[in-house]
This record gives sequence, structure tokens and C-alpha cells, in this order.
Amino acid sequence: MELELFIPDNASLFFEGVILCLLAGALLPLAFRETRWTTVLSFGPMALGSIMALALSLNIILTGSVLSLGSPILAPIHGALMELRVGGLGAFFILMIGVVTLPVSIYSIGYCRQYYGKHSLRALGFLTNIFVLSMILVPAANDVFSFLVFWETMSLASFFLVIYEHESGSSVKSGLTYIVMTHFGTAFITASFLVLYSYTGSLSFDSFRNPALPLPIFIKEVAFVLALIGFGSKAGLVPLHIWLPQAHPSAPSNVSALMSGVMIKVAIYGLALVTLDFIDPSIPQLAWLGMLMVIVGAISSLIGVLYASVEHDLKRALAYHSVENIGIIVLGLGLSVVFMSYGLTALAALALLASMYHSLNHALFKSLLFMGAGSVISSTNTRDLNRMGGLARVMPWTSLLFLVGSIAIAGLPPLNGFVSEWLTMQALLSSYQVPNVVLQVSISFASIAFALTLGLALATFVKLFGISFLSKPRSQEAENAKESPKIMIVGMAIVGLLCVVLGVLPFVATRIIASSFGFNPSLVSDASPFGALTVPYSVAGVQSVSGMSMPEVVVVMGSVTALLLGFVLATNRGRKTARRAYSTWDNGFGAQDERMEQTASSLSRPLRTVFSGLFRPHTEVQREYYSDSNHYIKKSIRMESHIRDFFEEKIYSPVTGATLTVLDKVRRLQTGKVNSYLLYIMIILVLFLVLVAVTS
Amino acid sequence: MTIYDLVLGMLQTCSILAMAPLMTGIMRKVKARTQKRRGSGVLQPYYELSKLFKKDEVVSDQSSWIFHYAPWIMLVSTITAALFIPVFLPFSPFSSAGDILVVLGLFALANFFMMLAGLDTASAFGGLGSSREMMMAALIEPALFITIFVISLTLGGTNLSALVSAAASSGFLIAPSMLFALIAFLVIFLAETGRLPFDNPATHLELTMIHEAMVLEYSGKGLGMIEWSQSIKQLILLTLVVNLFFPIGMPTQINNAMISPIALSAALYLAKVALLAAIMALAESRVAKWRVFRLPDLLSVAIASSMVGVVFHFL
Repeated sequence: MELELFIPDNASLFFEGVILCLLAGALLPLAFRETRWTTVLSFGPMALGSIMALALSLNIILTGSVLSLGSPILAPIHGALMELRVGGLGAFFILMIGVVTLPVSIYSIGYCRQYYGKHSLRALGFLTNIFVLSMILVPAANDVFSFLVFWETMSLASFFLVIYEHESGSSVKSGLTYIVMTHFGTAFITASFLVLYSYTGSLSFDSFRNPALPLPIFIKEVAFVLALIGFGSKAGLVPLHIWLPQAHPSAPSNVSALMSGVMIKVAIYGLALVTLDFIDPSIPQLAWLGMLMVIVGAISSLIGVLYASVEHDLKRALAYHSVENIGIIVLGLGLSVVFMSYGLTALAALALLASMYHSLNHALFKSLLFMGAGSVISSTNTRDLNRMGGLARVMPWTSLLFLVGSIAIAGLPPLNGFVSEWLTMQALLSSYQVPNVVLQVSISFASIAFALTLGLALATFVKLFGISFLSKPRSQEAENAKESPKIMIVGMAIVGLLCVVLGVLPFVATRIIASSFGFNPSLVSDASPFGALTVPYSVAGVQSVSGMSMPEVVVVMGSVTALLLGFVLATNRGRKTARRAYSTWDNGFGAQDERMEQTASSLSRPLRTVFSGLFRPHTEVQREYYSDSNHYIKKSIRMESHIRDFFEEKIYSPVTGATLTVLDKVRRLQTGKVNSYLLYIMIILVLFLVLVAVTS
Repeated sequence: MTIYDLVLGMLQTCSILAMAPLMTGIMRKVKARTQKRRGSGVLQPYYELSKLFKKDEVVSDQSSWIFHYAPWIMLVSTITAALFIPVFLPFSPFSSAGDILVVLGLFALANFFMMLAGLDTASAFGGLGSSREMMMAALIEPALFITIFVISLTLGGTNLSALVSAAASSGFLIAPSMLFALIAFLVIFLAETGRLPFDNPATHLELTMIHEAMVLEYSGKGLGMIEWSQSIKQLILLTLVVNLFFPIGMPTQINNAMISPIALSAALYLAKVALLAAIMALAESRVAKWRVFRLPDLLSVAIASSMVGVVFHFL
């Protein structure tokens, strides 16, 4: 890069800029009295810090350098205790964080004003800035100690944000579930690092990357499985996803956007770091590690989208979609590991590209959707889809941007979701090159799950968009809803625009990903930036190239539209056909109202029936009659239907139940009498003496 | 890509657009005959379309901009998909831009907007149709993808030109896996085009309709666009079946000077597609509409059949 900005020396400057801006955003509001403008004081610096983060990461990616830090500001903590390093992998994730936090911080300036007078805006600003700062620092950490410190800061800051609206009991409960699950994960991550440490003898990640002696396969396998459980619980992989649909919706929507958009990606960073950097999976014996990820990913995506499809809480449905998308990302990463283990470099690059492209896409459209949900919720005061409706007319901008997010996440052309799903499909189709029949057949099973996920995601977004924005308002609140302030629209529009750009011009993302991960972009695309993404196919005599060029598809769609307009005008011979508005056809009933239209629950009823094995719907009907003798004339009917969460009922409840029972028994030891405590000490002492006598 | 290729390619696309209503007409005629009716002429769909395009529209006062633009988006995405399909030549000049997965994506885009339009008018019927279509679309997707998986494994890749020319040079049903893919594809064809036993294109009974319920509120130009895009989609799927599974008469390569093989191939293509359409209509007349919740069973058969094809291919 010829640009003056992109020289390696600037990277450390930008890094310090990030830290200073975010610390300023955290501390500045604390220095002033709380007003409605406090949001500017905390989120203004956050936006600036995000720009710095973008500059930092682009600097590293485009120059291909590695930033190792020893700056004067960081000197007191640098060196002995903390080692910081930003390489291509880390820079890509910092880029992803920056690209989401910038629009989210702009959005937050408007969004968080609604909390003025109800909750502390200063606390919100402080926590959010610390949260973002720690997320950016995790990919910069280069030793076990600093990684875990930043990781825990991230978890704790987000925990406090989840319970920000603490007067509602449910948010405290979900916060507790979150903090238990996240510490369960941290324990496994620590164990994974310690396994590696026990072999290399150093806590620095550099020693994990280039161990003095090659790591034995067994150590690699153990470290990988521990890391998969640890990072999987943070990323929300099934069955460790249980906290995600509780915690993400409880937080304020701008924080949900950050948590679902980028925080779970930090866990993907950890997984990619361990798999790609520490454990070099380039021997066929390690193929099963990749296959494990493919299976877990496929199951997560399917389970996530199934629960999303029957959910009628807008934010919970979006949170379940995060489980789905994380599944797709992990599936891609797993395929990449499978290909790598058999030495299929080009395919490994393709699958890795698919996975990372989808991570970036998911960061964008999920934050867009959560911001859109936040706008809807703050103007209707409800998260229940069954109380929304007709919002497209009162909130035109929000509805347009939510639609962009929906099309993107449903994987429809020409937006970004389609490109990464196309790449994932191509990676799945390329599995014929893996020289192992069992893996080939298993991957084709995974691709059925993947395709079913896509179909269900399409259906779910018909529901989420259709029920909330279309048809008649279903409640007074929805009827009186107002469009959000402009600054919130601006924040959403930035992400919406990026979704379009990454869809129509895939080379922007493919080149960035290729240079962050150090593979040749020509493996997956034409030489020309507007050319096709290509995947070669070659097997016994048959040679062909499968390709897709979104810029050309969009140009074709544009010209078709123009031709069609001409055609329609020509058929009318210049006479414009009239449009007349009239009420919807009601079979002559004459009193069709909003109670007769579909609700979120009735819309997904067929899906609930088809997959009733998983959902096990529980329906309760109460009928009230005018008289007990005649059951034909009813005064009222009340129906309630719940689906039971399989994982909560079958896995978590037994475990928590058993733990409580055991702890209840243990509690009997605590009698409150000093005599008995002395007895315990006595017994322990005797036992120790016996132990010493026996062993010596 | 020469000008000659480009002209031929455009000709292929235009032939799909022009012949799509004809196939609908043929299918209706065959159905009428099997029901001992005379039925309207095979050109009737053309008259209907030209009437609809000239008529004024009545739109629901509850609808939003989604309802206005949905027919446009549906028609544009279906026509765009038609550009990537090789019809009577073993290639399409645009198929480097869009492969079979892009075609699926464009169909899904059209479907997405049709389901939204069904919800938009606050009609109880529209929502009912969207609700059923949501289930169907979700289950068709895996069946279709795994079928493409088999085709792509057997013929190589996802580029439509490459697939069709590979089929043309290797002939009819080269592998057992393709037979299973064909079974699955025919089931998917019935489901995707809303035919019996999945959906009855001629019904307006709320218990049975899926597709008709979603477009119930459309009239005039909007309805015309939707009907035309439906028949284009139907012909695209028929063309894919014919060209991938029965490539008899498809030239393996095109020499610039030769017009006669192209004309022969075009005539054969027309005959094959018309025959297939007639067979599908006959098959349709033999079955009754299934209960909505039995349809997943049929789609599972399609998935299982293709999965057997995959296993056959790998073993």
C-alpha cells in the first residue's frame, strides 16, 4: 500500500489510540453530571476508538506485518506480565469488531437516551466501553495470562450489561445463567492452555505456535477438545448454547448487537487460534477434529434455527439465530480442518474463506437486526411479535433496513449472506476430494442439515419481518409507534450498506480475508476484482470451473428490470393502468379485523407440527360454557401452548437438580455448633496423620 | 464469448420466457382431457396474461410497499435465473456469472417476497398460504440441495454449462446415482411448482390452497407478473430435468457455421419438454391432494432417494 497511513509504525500508534479512546469513553461520563447528553460523552469516543481499531487492523492486514507491542504507555504492564501481538488472524477479528462497534456506537447515542432518568447512563457508558476494549484486546493477547484477563473482563462487563435492567427478575436470572456458563467455558479454556503449557513449558503463545519439540498428537487432541468445549460454550454451540437465548435478549439492544454480533466471534477467534495456529492439523490422523466441528456445527445450526422458527419473542428469535450462524461458521472451520488434514490446501482455503466470510457477514447483519429490533422495541414497548404489526407504514426506514438484514441472514442473493453460504455449499460439494468414504458420506449428511437450516432460516425471517412490519397493527402500541431518531437510522444504515457492499462486491471481503490468513486469493477468485468466485472441479477426466459472479448477477438483474419496465409500458401502449385501493377480501363478512390475521405462533404452527418430536408442544385448552347442560355454545375458549426446551429439560435440569441435592446433603455438615466444627478438624487431622504414616 | 454465442444465448432465454405459458396451457389441456373435459386451448394462458397486463388493479388498503414491489422482484429474479439455463444449446453465455446455486437463490428470493406479500394484506387467507409455504419451502430446500449434490458429484461442479455439456457427452442416466436424483427431482418439481399432491393450482378452497392463497389479493398487472413468473419457473425446472437427465439430441459442441443441429436440438427440446409436461400433468391427474401434514413424508422420500444416490456415488 502506497498510502502514508499504512506503514507498520502507525499500527502501534493506532493501538494506543484505541485504548485511549475507549478509556476516555469509559471515564469521561463519570466526570460529569448525568444528562441526556451523557450518551454522546460515552459513545462518541467509542465511535472514535472503533475507527482507530479499523485503521489498526487494516494497517496490519494490508501491510502484512505483525504488531508486537512495547509502547511507553503500556510499558508498566508490558514485558514481564503481558505480551501483546497482533497478527493477521487477530487483525481480522479486530476489523470485525471495529466495523460493528462504529455503527453501534452511533446508534447508541440515540438509543440509550431512553434510559435517562430510569437507569444510570454513566454506568452503561462505562461498561460498554470496557466491554468493547476487552473484546479488542483479546485478539491482541499473546500469552495465556493476558488472554484470560481480557477474556474475563469481557465476560464480566457483558454480565453487568445483561443485568442492566435489573428490576426485571428474568434479566437477573438470565445473567446468572450466563455467568455460570461463561465460567464453565473459561475453566475449559484454561485447561486447554495448561495442557499446551505442560508440554512447552512457557505461557507465551509464541511457544505454542512454534514448540521446541513438535507436539504429540495426543496432546493436540486433548487441547483441541478442551478448547472446543471452552470456546464453544462462549460461542453458543449446542448443547452449551443454553445461556445465549436468555442473556442476549435481556441486555439493552445495542449491547445485544455487540454480544451477538461480535462477542461470540471472539470465541470463534479463540477456536481458530487454537486450531489453526497452535494445533497444526495437517496430518490425516487429525481429520476427526475437523469432522467433530462439522458435526457440532451442523447440529447447532439446525437446533438454533428450529427454536428460532417457533419463537415469538423478537430478540430471543434473533439470539437463536446466532446459535444457527455460529453453527455454520464452525461447520466451515471444521471442513477447512478436514481438508487441511488431507493436504488439500486449496479447498482448506475455500472452506476457511467461507467460514470467515460468514463470521464477518453475521457480525454485520446480526448487529443490524438487533439494532432494528431495538428501534422496534423502544417504540412499541414490547418484544412480543404478536403485539406488533403494520410497522412498515409508520417506521419506513427501520423496516427497510430490517428487511435488508432479513434478506442477508436468510442467504438470498444479492446480499452478503448468499455469498458466504454459496462458498460454504461449494466447500461441502468439494468433499468428494477427501479420500475417505466415511467422511464423504458424513459430510453429505451435514450438508442436508445445512440446507434444511437455510430453508428454515428463510421461513423464520418471513415470520419475523412479516409479523412485525406487515399487515394490521395487533395492539395499540404498534398503532402508535413512531419512527426512531435519525441518528439511530444512520447507525443502522451504515451496516445495511456494508451488507449490500459485501454482497455485491465479494472481492472486498475475499481479499481482506486472504491477506489476513495468508493464502493466495487466486485460489478462490478471478484475477479481476469484479470477476467470479471460482471453484475448480476435477475428477478422472472431467474438468470444469464452478463460478459465481455477484457483480454480473446484479448487472443482469438491473438490465432485466429495465427491459421489463419497457415491456410493461409497451403492452399498455403508453396508457397507465390505474390502481385502486380497497379493503381486503373478507368473503363478504364485513368485519375483518386484526384478530383474524395470522399471529407469529399460528404462522409457525405447521413447522411446530412437523418437528413436534423436538418441540413436544404442550397445549392447554380451557372452555367456559354458558350452561353445563349444553356444551355446544361456549362463552369463551382459552388456549395456551408452550414448547418445552429439550436441552433445559433433559440435560440442564437433571444436572442442576443433582447438584442442589448433593449440596443440600453437604449443608448438613454446617450445623453452627463450634463443637462439631472442632470434631471435623480433629477428624481431618487424624486422617492426615494416617496418610503421612502410610506414605512415609 | 463471441457475439454469435451471445445472440444464441439471448435466444434461449427468450424462448423460455415465450414458451413458459404454452407449457402451462399444455398441462391444463392434458388435465382437462383426462377429466373428460374439452378444456380451453393451449394458448389460453397467453390470452389471460395479455388481459391481466392491460387491466387496472385493485390493491388492499392495508398493504405496504412490499405488496407493490413483490411481483416485480419475483419476475425479475425468475427471468434472471432463466438467463443462466442452457436450453437447446449445451451452454449458456451467462453461466459463468451464475451457477445452479444462484438459480436456487433467485428462486428463494422470489419465494421470500411472495410469502411476505401474502402476509402484507392482513387477509386471513394470505397468512394461511404463507404459513404453509414456509413449511414447504423449508423442507424443499434440503431435498433440492442434496439432489444438486448428487448431480454435481456425477456430472462435475455446479456450473450449468459444464453440467449440461457433461450430460450431453455422456448420454442418458450414466450412473445409478442419477436415477435416484431423478426420482427426487420429479418430487421436488411437483412441490416447487405447487402441483398435486402438494398444492392444487386450480383451487380456491381455503382448506387446500397454498400458492393461490398467497396471491389471492393480487389483480391486474401484479397478478399477471406473478403468473408469468410461476410458469417461467416451471419451465426452467422442466428444462433442467430434460437437459440433465435426458440429453438425447443435445449437440455436444456448437460449430459456428452449423444451423441445422441447433434447429434439430431446439425441435427435440420442445418435443421433450412438452412430453414431460404432459406426463407430469397425467401423473397429477392420478393422485388426490394430500393432507398438508403428510407432505413432509413425500419430501423425506425425495431426500432419502438423493441420499441413496450420494452413497451409491461414493461407494
